[in-house]
Amino acid sequence: MAANPFSQPVEQSVSKVNNEVEVGEDLDFQRKWWRFENSVWVIFFVIIVLDVCGVFGRGPVAKAERRAADGTIDVRYERIERTESPSILKIRFGQSAIVDGKIKLYISESLVNGLGAQRVIPAPLESEVGKGGLTYTFLASKPPASVDLALQPSGPGLYDFTIGVVGAEPLHAKVFVVP
Amino acid sequence: MAAAVRAFAGYFFLVFVVRIVGRRPGKQMTPFEFVLIFFIGGLALTAIVGDEVSFTNALCQITTIGFAHYLLAWARSRSKRLARLVDGTPLILLEHKAWRSQTLRQMRISDDDVMASARDSGLKTLEQVDRAVLERNGEISISPMQTTP
Repeated sequence: MAANPFSQPVEQSVSKVNNEVEVGEDLDFQRKWWRFENSVWVIFFVIIVLDVCGVFGRGPVAKAERRAADGTIDVRYERIERTESPSILKIRFGQSAIVDGKIKLYISESLVNGLGAQRVIPAPLESEVGKGGLTYTFLASKPPASVDLALQPSGPGLYDFTIGVVGAEPLHAKVFVVP
Repeated sequence: MAAAVRAFAGYFFLVFVVRIVGRRPGKQMTPFEFVLIFFIGGLALTAIVGDEVSFTNALCQITTIGFAHYLLAWARSRSKRLARLVDGTPLILLEHKAWRSQTLRQMRISDDDVMASARDSGLKTLEQVDRAVLERNGEISISPMQTTP
C-alpha cells in the first residue's frame, strides 16, 4: 500500500495583480526597502571613506609618532592595527641614547604578547627579561640609528605599551587593534 | 570557536551585502557581475579562514555555514515577513505596454535585460510582451501578449 503523501488543497495565498496573475508583488514593502537600501549605500560610502583615511588601520589617521622629551628616542607606529596583519614599529635613537657604544632598549611585555612582536631588526646583542618586559642591548656608534620591531597582533583590543632607553624617561602609548 | 563565530557572522554579512547589492546576481548575471561574486567570495574566504588552514577548521566552518543556512531557511519558511526581508517580493517591470520606471531604476535593470528574457521566451519585440516580472531569484519571467484568433 502506498504511503500517505499528506496533501492539502491549493488555496489563493499569493496576491493577484489586476485580478489576473498571482505575482505577490508588495510595492509598499519594496518602497520601504529601497529607502533602507539607499541609506545603506550612504553607510557603505562612509565606511569606504573612513577606510581610505585609515580609521580602520593602514592609512594616514592610523599613523602616529611619539618623541621622548629628552630626545633619546622617536617612535613611529600605527595607533590602529589590524588583527594578524604585520606592521613595523620604528624606533630612532638620539645621541643621548648611546652610552659606551651601546643602546639599551626596554619594551613592555604588551608589545610582545598583545601586539605580537615577531622580530627585532637588527638582532640585539643581548636580551634580558624582567621588570615586566624585555631589555635589548644593541651595539651603536652615532646617530642616525634605528631599530624596527615587526608586529603582528594576535587579537583585537586596546593595548598600552611602554618603550624607552634604560635610564631615560620611557614613552607610553596606546594601540587599538581592530578585528 | 572563534572560527565558527567568524563563519556564522561572515555568512549573515554576505547574505546582507548580496541582498543590498541587488537581485541581478541571479539569472541575469553578466561577466561584470561574475567579478563581483568571485571577488566577494574570495575576500570573505580570506577573512573567515585566516591562517587556520587545517582540515578540522574547514570541516567546522562548512558545518557552521550549513547550519546558518538551514537556520535562515527554516526561519524564512516560518515567517513571511522574514522571507520578504531576505528575498524581497516579485516585481513587475513591464505591464500592458508600460514600464514600471521606478522599479527599473531602483533594481538597476534596463530594457535590454527585459528584451533578453523576451528573446529567451521566443518573442521578437517588446511589443509582444504583456507582462515582465522580476522574480525573487533574479530571473525575469515573461508573459506574452494574448493574440486574438
